Amino acid sequence: MSSNKDILPPELIKDKGSLHPINHMKDSIMSLLVSFGFEVVDGPEIETEEFNFDMLNIKKTHPARQMHDTFYVEKKLNLLRTHTSPVQIRGMLEKKPPLAFISGGKVYRKDDDATHLPMFHQVEGIFVDENVSFAQLKDLIYKIIYSLFGESVELRFRPSYFPFTEPSAEVDILSKEGKWLEILGCGLVNPIVLENCNIDSNKYSGLAFGLGIERIAMLKHGITDIREFYKSNLDFLSQFK
Amino acid sequence: MKIAYSHLVSHIQENPTLEMVSDRLFQLGHEHEVEGNIFNMEFTPNRGDCLSVNGLLRDLSVFYTINCDQKVYTEKLDNLQIDFENLSQDICPHISFLKLEIDNIPHTYKGYLNDYFTDLNLNKNNFFTDISNYISYETGQPTHCYDANKVNGKLIFQELNTNQEFETLLDKKINLTDKNSVFLLNNEVINLAGVVGGKRTSCSSETKTVLVECAFFKPEKIIGKSVKYDIQSEASHKFERSVDPECHETVIRRFINLVDEYSNIKKMSFVSYKYEDIKAYKIPVDVNKINQIIGINISEDEYLSYLLKLGFTVDNSLITVPSYRSDIETQNDLAEEVARAIGYNNILKKELSIPKGKISNNYDIENKLRYFLLDQGFYEVVNSPFVNISSDMSITVDNPLDSNREYLRTNVISSLMDNLIYNERRQKDSIKLFEISDVYTLKDNQIDRIRRLSIIASGRAGHNYEDFSKKINIKYLTKLFKNGLPGENFDFRILERDSAKTKIKNEIIGCEVDISNFSTEVLNYKEISKSPDTFIQYCPISEL
Repeated sequence: MSSNKDILPPELIKDKGSLHPINHMKDSIMSLLVSFGFEVVDGPEIETEEFNFDMLNIKKTHPARQMHDTFYVEKKLNLLRTHTSPVQIRGMLEKKPPLAFISGGKVYRKDDDATHLPMFHQVEGIFVDENVSFAQLKDLIYKIIYSLFGESVELRFRPSYFPFTEPSAEVDILSKEGKWLEILGCGLVNPIVLENCNIDSNKYSGLAFGLGIERIAMLKHGITDIREFYKSNLDFLSQFK
Repeated sequence: MKIAYSHLVSHIQENPTLEMVSDRLFQLGHEHEVEGNIFNMEFTPNRGDCLSVNGLLRDLSVFYTINCDQKVYTEKLDNLQIDFENLSQDICPHISFLKLEIDNIPHTYKGYLNDYFTDLNLNKNNFFTDISNYISYETGQPTHCYDANKVNGKLIFQELNTNQEFETLLDKKINLTDKNSVFLLNNEVINLAGVVGGKRTSCSSETKTVLVECAFFKPEKIIGKSVKYDIQSEASHKFERSVDPECHETVIRRFINLVDEYSNIKKMSFVSYKYEDIKAYKIPVDVNKINQIIGINISEDEYLSYLLKLGFTVDNSLITVPSYRSDIETQNDLAEEVARAIGYNNILKKELSIPKGKISNNYDIENKLRYFLLDQGFYEVVNSPFVNISSDMSITVDNPLDSNREYLRTNVISSLMDNLIYNERRQKDSIKLFEISDVYTLKDNQIDRIRRLSIIASGRAGHNYEDFSKKINIKYLTKLFKNGLPGENFDFRILERDSAKTKIKNEIIGCEVDISNFSTEVLNYKEISKSPDTFIQYCPISEL
């Protein structure tokens, strides 16, 4: 026989919600970068062509500027930013070096399939100081990737092309299946971009990098269809508590 | 672009294996898939110079000894008399023509011309077009072949406003609209410049006299036409990424040599029009700058040896950029050449330290709100801003992906309502959602940006024995939020479910508040929920 002492009220378990997995990933990456010394800056999602393209050395002829790649609004007066880089332009125009900014948020491109959506998220960072080198950029990228995927992960740098960085690189990690997966783009800030922001490129140089949040979240959580993130299905969201 | 390994390695003295060449191409930044003995290349848009066998060999010469010993016709060429006028010299600053007549038409090929079609599994067309296609593959320069007997009259190159039908040599009819760069014959378009030629003047299997056009079009003047008219031509791919403006005579002489290998040339003549002196870039030799950019320490001799192998020349402490490298203008561009030659993965990392930056208070308020809502059982959602409902304040997307969603939302709560109904239809009996997002509206023709928190809830208050029988209503939510954040006003209201067309009768409660309305008292909230430390492996909903 049990005594009265053994009879306890059932445990009152309060329902808990969860952060959206993309925002959680974005916050995690931004917190990491803040711990490295970066300052968070914020900017609008509706941008001008000047800030989204011209100031970043993306020429009028660049395919990204065409109507089939970029969403324009209000009779082409403005556009939905295609990357978070314009925020860094705004930051560089406001402050003088040395400066270290990160910005994260929604960006928009005219894509729609299982791995691309018209709206997705990026985190980008920039560091401008005297004598910033590609070798230092590599150090930073290693720290970011090791923090996200562990120090046993194998990574490689490949030359690439972005109008706003030179030299430019893409970074891949080796998956468990032995496949190289692209993780981020980076490079030394193109001196033209520094000059556009009234920064003396003979004295200062900079590094920049950008990560696609959905891509990293898909890898970390094993999600194969990017559209799952935006169905707002509680069966999906409740898995990320 | 597909390039056969055998077509490359036949010019490389060291005879590297396919895997070795593949590794070197990756080191240079030339992404590709290996399909048997074929490299399916995907070049970055700044490297139009690599879109050929010779182009890739020029890049690989930084690692290997390259023998580019392709024969060209070396005899003097007669001057071609052609009735041609260039009315848009700013678009086409350099153009050349070759007129050539043969007495027999070959139908079979041998050697490398045969290998080109066989190895890459390409269809043959007619003799002159086949030579033209091969020349483009080998040198990177597209040429266009007109049947010379069909070009009678004055040939004009011009950018003009056109509104006429044009039948391409691919049998596709397109309607040319707005400004296009075209070749006209007796006022009729016979060639959409840099994209595709016309059917009326194209070569056939009977053509014995050809007029070969070899041009340089400024990429910025022709870009977008292939997409506009849905014509994916190799020529447009190359012209849009820029071709070598100084290669015409070599390419034409190579063309003649190839024709000469297969047929007897009866007559030929050549003319070249250059309207603008395209000056080579010159950049000072500065190895210290290169070392600083990359973070290495190499000697000037080593630095220059890389550039010389890549075709740059050095004179009087000035580096001259070869005419085919339109992507090189600055010291940073040269640094990238050196870094690629060394290999990005071989550059040692150097410790980077960044001074601590400031942390914004706004994000702390937002984060506190998010964790407060998590503690109350709410799920964060993220919605697309594209909607089909407009108001006076709506911003219109000029080129929406879906014509039924051409406006940007002016509130967040409508998106949450859709999310709630979606989950109700999936038998969810307790739904609590929130979203924090910027909302953009037009006010006095100015774009206004407001950051909003929107909350929606319906159904059971929760699933524990205390909340299971309680229904979410204004009183319940107001009390819950007052307990957690006593100083803040959420102003909950009942939302109409008229448009929802569901049989569920639960009240839907919601609110939308500007983030700027919250006070710093929010920062005093002590959250219970913590961010998950580890990343959860997702399980597909179908397997739950």
